[in-house]
Amino acid sequence: MYQEPFFTRGPSPLARLTFFSLLAIVVMIADHRFRALDTVRLAVSVVLHPVERAMALPGDLASRVGDYFTSQDKLLADNRVLERKVLELAAASQQAQLLKSEHERLIRLAAANDRFANQGIVAEIIRDARNPFNRRIIVDKGMAHGLRGGLPVIDGGGVVGQVTAVGTLTSEVTLITEKDQSVPVMLVRNGLRAVSVGMGKDGTIDVPFIPASADIRNGDVFVTSGIDGLYPPGLAVATITSVEKNAAFQFARIIGTPASGVDNHRFVMVLNNPAAATYPIPDVAGEERKGARERGSRAQRPAPANIRKPEQ
Amino acid sequence: MAYGDLSPISREPMRPPAPLRVVFGALFVALLINLLPWSGTPLLIRPDFVLLVLLFWAVHEPRIIGQGMGFALALVMDVADSALLGQHALAYVIATFLAQVLRLRILQLTVAEQALHVGGILFVSTAVMLLLNSMLGRDFPGVALFLSPILGAMLWPVVRAVTAWQKLRLPPPTTMMR
Repeated sequence: MYQEPFFTRGPSPLARLTFFSLLAIVVMIADHRFRALDTVRLAVSVVLHPVERAMALPGDLASRVGDYFTSQDKLLADNRVLERKVLELAAASQQAQLLKSEHERLIRLAAANDRFANQGIVAEIIRDARNPFNRRIIVDKGMAHGLRGGLPVIDGGGVVGQVTAVGTLTSEVTLITEKDQSVPVMLVRNGLRAVSVGMGKDGTIDVPFIPASADIRNGDVFVTSGIDGLYPPGLAVATITSVEKNAAFQFARIIGTPASGVDNHRFVMVLNNPAAATYPIPDVAGEERKGARERGSRAQRPAPANIRKPEQ
Repeated sequence: MAYGDLSPISREPMRPPAPLRVVFGALFVALLINLLPWSGTPLLIRPDFVLLVLLFWAVHEPRIIGQGMGFALALVMDVADSALLGQHALAYVIATFLAQVLRLRILQLTVAEQALHVGGILFVSTAVMLLLNSMLGRDFPGVALFLSPILGAMLWPVVRAVTAWQKLRLPPPTTMMR
């Protein structure tokens, strides 16, 4: 009969520490630099999702019960406000439709691309991401509902953020207030272009690299400029709350608050932006390969257009 | 301990090993607690229950739970917390290593002294996470972050009492020997 040796110890703790630390560092590099482990993440999240839903259940139930007992008065008041809002928005949306059709006609004349988002997927915010180091939320729509990485997310006020990781049934949205999360923006009043960058913890937005001489004031509104091809143009991003112009610095220091209720909404809309499909993220390595192949094939045989030209 | 005292240094070697269902059951329950929808300040000061239970088993059942298990659990935590993969892994592996090295020492201390050691280990793991996140360019989330290892150390007696509960350790009735 096989018997285990009396003193089985295996590698020493220090050897194990070295091995597993190196493994952890390799995993971190693979995830951060090369995004190589998205499948692992997806697989684990598929298993975790039902468990997380189950653990969120008590809290959900409590808040539902709380909702149930909200007073009649409050509901009536809410309803009145919402009805008024619907009427206001109805007028605005009819005008917008007119403008959009005019815009489409003009665009067709100029043979350019339509850049309006036409579909959206309404998603419910399930919870904040459990990570004190970043500002992300989890919504209840995922790959199964047609979401993909990079799609813009808005609410009634403006841009909320961008889908950064997609699971099968949930997705992670990085808020525009996350540190270094940037959005190409344009000043409504004079069309000044800039890039807004999240500040991190205090929920404000920084607009760097605007010259101190630029025409910009408190209360100015930044909307998306649409030049990135990800965010459709014209969505509200931020309102400027402080402009500091110091002669000692080349750039003005501009701080804004996000136009959307970034931290306090329950439903958001993920824009399934058709423009995003027409501006893919450049695959530089792939392009180079393709370019090389095309150059090679062109060298082998002349383009057919060149042959036919003399006859016609 | 006086010279010539023949009482055992620790009763631990005399104790039968914990059944696997208790070891993994406790880890699973800790994972569930970690997966509650925490946010805001409670999230910041929340002790890492998974790491706490992991340390407990690394000290008490070193043959079952070691750095490999810590690594695997950490990857699950990374996905759950939408953190960079491998971030918890490094912290957990270092913490488990410290628990393994300090194991014999921890086993002969009183509960309060054990909690101090565990608090130190938890602090190291929090510091590792903080270091990695600041290398990624994230902001310091607040001094309250360091309440987490302190609260964790205060929970150590609780974890110890629950997981060492004798009734859990009895074999299930069907296989009980007559």
